Amino acid sequence: MSSGSHALVEFEGVNKYFGDVHVLKDVTLEVERQEVAVVIGPSGSGKSTLLRCTNRLEEIQSGEIRLGGDAISAPDADVNRLRQRVGMVFQSFNLFPHMTAIENIMIGPTEVKGVPEAQARERAESLLDDVGLDNQADSYPHELSGGQQQRVAIARALAMDPEVMLFDEVTSALDPELVGEVLDVMRDLAEEGMTMLVVTHEMGFAREVGDTITLMSDGRIAERTPADQFFDQPRTDRGKEFLRRLL
Amino acid sequence: MSDAYSEESTGEGPDFLDDDAVVRRIGELIAGLFTLSVLGFLAWILATQVDYRLLRSVFPRFVEAFRLVVFIVVVSSVASVSLGTLMGLARISSSPLTGRIAKGYVEFFRGTPLLFQLFVIFFGIPRLWPPGQFPIGDWRVPAAIIGLTLNHIAYVAEAVRGGVGAVEDGQLEAARSLGMSKVQAMRKIVLPQAWRNALPAIGNDQIILVKDTSLLTVIAIPEIMSVFRNINSNQLDPWTPLVWVCLFYLLVTMSMSLAVSILERRADWSADDEVGGLRGLLSSIGKGLGRRL
Repeated sequence: MSSGSHALVEFEGVNKYFGDVHVLKDVTLEVERQEVAVVIGPSGSGKSTLLRCTNRLEEIQSGEIRLGGDAISAPDADVNRLRQRVGMVFQSFNLFPHMTAIENIMIGPTEVKGVPEAQARERAESLLDDVGLDNQADSYPHELSGGQQQRVAIARALAMDPEVMLFDEVTSALDPELVGEVLDVMRDLAEEGMTMLVVTHEMGFAREVGDTITLMSDGRIAERTPADQFFDQPRTDRGKEFLRRLL
Repeated sequence: MSDAYSEESTGEGPDFLDDDAVVRRIGELIAGLFTLSVLGFLAWILATQVDYRLLRSVFPRFVEAFRLVVFIVVVSSVASVSLGTLMGLARISSSPLTGRIAKGYVEFFRGTPLLFQLFVIFFGIPRLWPPGQFPIGDWRVPAAIIGLTLNHIAYVAEAVRGGVGAVEDGQLEAARSLGMSKVQAMRKIVLPQAWRNALPAIGNDQIILVKDTSLLTVIAIPEIMSVFRNINSNQLDPWTPLVWVCLFYLLVTMSMSLAVSILERRADWSADDEVGGLRGLLSSIGKGLGRRL
C-alpha cells in the first residue's frame, strides 16, 4: 500500500456512460481514511453507479479511481486483488442461498485468501457475534428476516478485512421496523473507524453518523459539505432544494 | 335482487359454473369416468387378448433386451449429462467463438431428427473407411451410444444454460465483490444454484432419452421394440408382448424420475429436512417416492 499522503479513495475526472447516457460527469472526489461519506441525491443521479465503479462492478470511460494510491480503474489492474480491499453490501442482500449464514461469511476468506477452514470459522463466529447473530450461524438465508440477512451480508464483506466498505441503499428493501438493526451495525462500524461510502435515503443516519455529505445531481457532485453543516445550512441551491423537498 | 354479494351469474356461461364446489364435483366426475374407462379397457385386454402362456415364455427375451437397453441408457445418460453441462457452459462463454460453436452444435443436434443422426453414425461413418477396413466389428451399440449422447448433449446444454440464466445477477456480483475470479464464482456460487434450476429440465430430457432407445431398432439393435416386432410377426399376437413393452419402459422411466426427484430434494437447500449421510439419502428416497405416489 502506498503513502499516507493520499486520500483512501480518490475519484479524478471520472466519466461513465451507459450507452449514450452520461451517468457520471467529471466526478472528482476524495474520501479520507476513517471518513463516513454519505452520498445522497435523487434517484438516477448516479449515486449507485459511483459506488459500483469503486470496486469496478462498472467500468469507467475516462478519469481514474484510486484506492490507497493504486489505480483501480487501470486496464491492467488486478481486479480480484483490488476488490478484496473493498467490501460491498447490496440493496438486495445477495446472500448465497445454498449456504448457511456462517458459510456465507467463510467462503470469501477460504476461497479467495486461502485462509484455513478452522481459522475462517472462528473469525466468522466472532463477526456473527458483532452483528448480533451468533445464534443464527447455521440458518440458511431464507430462514432469516431481511434485517438479519443484511447483517450477515455486512459480516460477509467484513470477513475480507476490507479497507473501505461500500453500502448501496442497504436498508431500502427492508420493512421499516427492520431498518434500525442494520443501521445500528453500520453505526458501530463507523465508530470503530471503518472508512465507509454510504448511499442512503436515511437522512437521520446521514446526519448522525455521516462525516461528510456528498449530494449528487444529474451525474455530478453538486455539493460536498461536512454533515453537521449540510442539514442546517447547505452551501448550494441544489442542496437547499434537496432539503426542501425532503421536508 | 338482494345485496351486492348475491350469487348472481356474471353473465357468461351457465349459472351452475359460478359455484366452485359444483365445478369441483364435475371435475371429479370426469376424472373418475376417465379412470374407470381406462381401467375397464385394460382389464378387458388382459382378460381377452393376452395369452398368458406366451407371456411367460417370451419373458426371458425381453429381459435380455431390457439389460441391453439399461446398459445403453446408463452410459449415454452419464455421458450426455456431463458433456452437456460443459456444452451449456460453452454456450454462455464470454468468448464469442466458443459461444457460437456451442450454439451451432445445439442448433444442429436439436434441429435434425435423432433418426437422421443415428443413420449418419451407423451407416455413414463406417463408409469413410475402405470396404472391410472399419476397425470396429460390431458397430451397433457404440453407434447407438454415440448417437444418443451427441443428441442429448444439446438438450442438457440448453437446460444448463437456462439454469445459469435463472441465477440472479446479484449472485455473481456479490461473489466478484469478495474478490473471487470468474471461475471461482461460477464453481462455488453460480453453478450449484444453476444445477438446481436445471435439474427438472435435465430429468425430463433423460426420460426422453430412455424412450429414444426405441428408435435403435432401425440400426439393428435387439432392443425392446424389436423383440416385440419379432414376436408379433411370428405369433400374430400384439397384445401379449405389448404388456412387457409397457412394463419395461415404465420401470426404467419411473426409476429415472425417482432418481431425479431424489437429486432435486438433495439440491433443495430450502427443504425442511436435513440431508446428508445415509439417513438423509433414505429420507430423500422416501420423500421422492411420496411425491411419485
